Amino acid sequence: MKETLLLTKNMRDNPEDSHLIDSYEKNNGYSTAKKTILESSPEKILEEIKASNIRGRGGAGFPTGVKWGFLAEDEDRYLVINADESEPGTFKDRILLERDPHQLIEGIIITCFSANIKEAFIYIRGEYAKPARRVQQAVEQAYQKGYLGKNIFGSDVNLDIVVHLGAGAYICGEETALLNSLEGRRGEPRLKPPYFPAVKGLYMKPTLVNNVETISSVPWIIENGGKEYNKLGVEGSTGTRIFSLSGHVNNPGNYEIEMGSSFGEFVETLGGGIKNNKKVKAYIPGGASAPWFRGDQLDIKMTIDDVANNNSMLGSGAVVMMDEDTNLVSAAKSIVSFFAHESCGQCTPCREGTTWLEMILDRIASGRGRTSDMNLLLDVCDNISPGLSWPPKMTTICPLGPSAVSPITSLMNDFRDEVESLIPTKVLL
Amino acid sequence: MSEKVNLNVNGLEIESDPNKLLIEACEDSGIHIPRFCWHKRLDPVGMCRMCLVEVETPRGKMLVPSCTTEVSDEMVVDTESDVVKKAQEGVLEFLLINHPLDCPICDKAGECPLQDQTMAYGPGESRFVEEKRHFEKPINISEIILLDRERCILCARCTRFSDEISGDPLIEFIQRGNKTEVNTFPNEPFKSYFSGNTVQICPVGALTSTSYRFKARPWDLKSIRSTCNGCPTGCSIELNSSQNKMLRILGVDNDAVNQGWMCDKGRYNFEYLNSDSRLKTPLKMTDNELVEIEIQDVYSELAEFIKDRQTKVNFLLGSNLTNEDYVAFREFSNTISKSERSFYLNDDLLYKGFFGENIELAKIDDLNSSDAIVVWAEDLKEKLPVLYLRIRQAVKNGVKLVVFGHTNETLSDIADVFYGKDMVSENFEILKDLSKMKEINNLVAGKNITAILGKSTPYQSDESVTKLFEFLNSNANSKVLNAYSKGNTYGAFQTLENLKGLNDFVNDISKDNTDLLFIVGADPIGRSVYSNQIKSIIKSIDTVVTLDNFNHETSELSDYVVPISSTLGEKEGTFTNIEFRTSRIDKLVPSPGQTLSDWEFITSLMNFAGLTVETNSLEDLNRKAYENLDSSLSPVFDNLDKPSNLDGMINIFNPKIAASENKLNKTMFFTGEKLYGDSATERHSDSISMLGSKKFIEVSESVAEKYNLTSGSCILAQDELEVTVSYEVNNSFPNDLVYIPTNRRELNKFDFSREIMIIPSQVKEALNVN
Repeated sequence: MKETLLLTKNMRDNPEDSHLIDSYEKNNGYSTAKKTILESSPEKILEEIKASNIRGRGGAGFPTGVKWGFLAEDEDRYLVINADESEPGTFKDRILLERDPHQLIEGIIITCFSANIKEAFIYIRGEYAKPARRVQQAVEQAYQKGYLGKNIFGSDVNLDIVVHLGAGAYICGEETALLNSLEGRRGEPRLKPPYFPAVKGLYMKPTLVNNVETISSVPWIIENGGKEYNKLGVEGSTGTRIFSLSGHVNNPGNYEIEMGSSFGEFVETLGGGIKNNKKVKAYIPGGASAPWFRGDQLDIKMTIDDVANNNSMLGSGAVVMMDEDTNLVSAAKSIVSFFAHESCGQCTPCREGTTWLEMILDRIASGRGRTSDMNLLLDVCDNISPGLSWPPKMTTICPLGPSAVSPITSLMNDFRDEVESLIPTKVLL
Repeated sequence: MSEKVNLNVNGLEIESDPNKLLIEACEDSGIHIPRFCWHKRLDPVGMCRMCLVEVETPRGKMLVPSCTTEVSDEMVVDTESDVVKKAQEGVLEFLLINHPLDCPICDKAGECPLQDQTMAYGPGESRFVEEKRHFEKPINISEIILLDRERCILCARCTRFSDEISGDPLIEFIQRGNKTEVNTFPNEPFKSYFSGNTVQICPVGALTSTSYRFKARPWDLKSIRSTCNGCPTGCSIELNSSQNKMLRILGVDNDAVNQGWMCDKGRYNFEYLNSDSRLKTPLKMTDNELVEIEIQDVYSELAEFIKDRQTKVNFLLGSNLTNEDYVAFREFSNTISKSERSFYLNDDLLYKGFFGENIELAKIDDLNSSDAIVVWAEDLKEKLPVLYLRIRQAVKNGVKLVVFGHTNETLSDIADVFYGKDMVSENFEILKDLSKMKEINNLVAGKNITAILGKSTPYQSDESVTKLFEFLNSNANSKVLNAYSKGNTYGAFQTLENLKGLNDFVNDISKDNTDLLFIVGADPIGRSVYSNQIKSIIKSIDTVVTLDNFNHETSELSDYVVPISSTLGEKEGTFTNIEFRTSRIDKLVPSPGQTLSDWEFITSLMNFAGLTVETNSLEDLNRKAYENLDSSLSPVFDNLDKPSNLDGMINIFNPKIAASENKLNKTMFFTGEKLYGDSATERHSDSISMLGSKKFIEVSESVAEKYNLTSGSCILAQDELEVTVSYEVNNSFPNDLVYIPTNRRELNKFDFSREIMIIPSQVKEALNVN
């Protein structure tokens, strides 16, 4: 299998200077935005996006065209680019920010034109210092060229972009927490209802929140047409997608491919197979929040719907391989630790429950487990995510708490023996 | 009126107003949903997750927080399903895993929502075997509030109160996740006038007050509902005592008045009741010393005096008496003299105000329904703190606010228009033509306005406030709330005719017209700005009788001192608030020693003197107070004690105030009072004794410059008097203005109509060295 380069073409072709405006423009950069502003109409752009059937690349996979259509009418509306890429295993937005920031800016210009937005914000993960620097530089270059600011491309369209750095919180990737953080408040998810961003978002104004990869795809879609994009990939998962492959593989990294091939094929070809020719014990198909697949499920297709039908999610496209030697209890514990550390602390079940789960897993992993812990683990999970079903139900405001439950239910459903084997049999409590 | 919606809760059909939250709609129909973070008076946050209920949706039954979900028609809700019960047990188990469970030493135990709901909805046992979360316990977050972060369940009630209600967000969440804690900012204590409310609404024992900590168990407390007589807002309160000692005051949610809130002064200024320094026996001045005397001897000696119909008697009455006390003095006065007479109220800010047939008086609740509120008065946060909260609430609900005066900084942050020093001169006169000011005209012209009007300082001319009143009266549909700020002033208005203030007292009273002067619950020498003049008047009068709780500068010059019961907790009676709402003052603890109510003293005295007494009991006085009102609407005890009237009864009244204008020279000094001072009751209330003890002045920038104030303190000097004070530069003051808070000892002793010298302390030191 081969990569299909739409979003990563410029950075592959021009590894030295793909982030600079001259290099970007040499390869027809900003020509689509210019054409759009001067010749197209907002409705036409929205039609193309709808025709492309692109679904959001942030994790939830919501159809982008539909999302744009939901945006409530108001004099002030905002676009917020969610560049708070923090899902463990995900590092695709990083290269888009760092190595092709102008592609994102061009996408923002087209999106704002379509949605009649005059101010956009790029909220970048606090730890992404270099990507943030590159994006800031790119925004400044675009202003100098007159592609941003007043009367862009000589038209009567105005657009400002503000680059904002987060302060190191995973939860700010949740769109309403991101908006709170952007407003200078604590990064805590808002109540939905009533605070749906498309109606009451940033500063209580209608706000479009989109992922970096989604908006970076916009220039290609508009240049080549939504229909062309729709031809790539498979129905329900059109276009290309950048998968971040990591774990026990020979060639970890970002790969832009059309959706539709199997995880097994992806790992064997582009990923170069599992290290030391080991077998896969389990793998994560879409970031740390996603329930795991077993090693015998490698033939599942890499599409949003196929993964969902198998009770997990393609999420942010982070594929993590765990070979046969992996201690899965430790693996689950490190994921749960992450979520416990990143819980915002608002909701009781998440604040208290995730840390408790971490403590129980730690006891089991270190040989201090009790037989009653097996049921306890699942019941604590149940109190965070009632019924332990997929997609998860929740007793919390946002899905962070239930995300910590995913690896544990995978562990207990598919690898229960491995957990039990760590519990000393003499201790009967 | 909007239409009702019908919903089905647990199989029962209930009706609710639309836009109500599910938790409220259920509560109204008698279905209780457990909760921690939700509070009727705070914006919902949906954080504790205790109020989860199942609601049927197109996608099946969903668990939703009932505190953030609005009712809708045909909604089907289950608050008791197995899924709901499991979620409730789960949340309680989560809340308890890190809770210290130190109920045996916790003040909240016995009235603790966490304890109660754990009993009702909890899992019964804990499965948590790990180490609990630890914090230093407890930490002082202000002089009067302690925080135990181990007990805290992070419901955000305290943080929301201080952010949304009191507007001083000094207490906040820090850290995140499992490490989240409530705390104050570094070097910024929780110095709020309203901090006690957070203790009251804390659903666990995390916030406690130094005042009540370890004093009692809730099940040992006796309680009674009463009215706070600290200022004319008249907050509804609950008094708590144990073993005949008053231990705590809580705010009661009176929707029309205080909505459950109180200021800290009202909440903690009761500790003096238990002070050993209380006056407990009558005293008589003998050889320049006050010595104990039997009360019968006081009666018989004064009775002799009164029997002589030529004796000229006058009264200076404090503002903390009950309406019945005022009536007792009125009846006494009427009995001994048929001629029209004046009563003097211990208030240097008393002026004629805005009353009369053509003026519509406002109720506190009118603030919420107005288009705009216009304020020109003393700083309301200092003087009518809970009314200040109600203004904040109205503004939060979208009512516009116009504030006049450079001394009203505390409202300037939320005012739509703030007319400070550019508009109001150092003499408190409006500098510009209001009819030409665009902003105010836009907000008030033709609109419904509530005007809160009062004088900012005794030295302000009546004319300047009148000018604003007339502008509003002719341009807007205005209602007026006269902002007198002392205790039961409105009760005095309602019961005493020809009421005058201290300014008139100084001008009117002399030994020529007064042989016998009663000073009741007042220390004009120690407190008022007329200190020196009143001192010489009192010295000149033949017989002065002081009635009070403590000895003070005025009582020390009196011929007789009678110990009286405190209106707070030791008396029954009625109180009338700023909107002429009369409500019950009730008694919970016995009055110490030989103390007695003012009305008991004066009635006994009348009997001793052989005068005709028509009002021999409290009930008689109570009836007499409202005899002119329609009996079904009058706030007599029988009516007030009906459950429907517990919040008080309004009888709008147009008082006849005989106060004349203060014509003193204006100087660069103006006086006022801060919330906390160092009066006898405040000095003897441990919790607040340190809060009002600091002597300070506020100066304009130009004054600081002119007098070379650099060292942080200076000396005020006039004649023989020298007082060292710290100073704060107040940028909102016009040039050449100095503010002196006179509710601090010594600071009221200056003659404010003459120049007072300001000497920087470094200069003074240099002088001393030489």
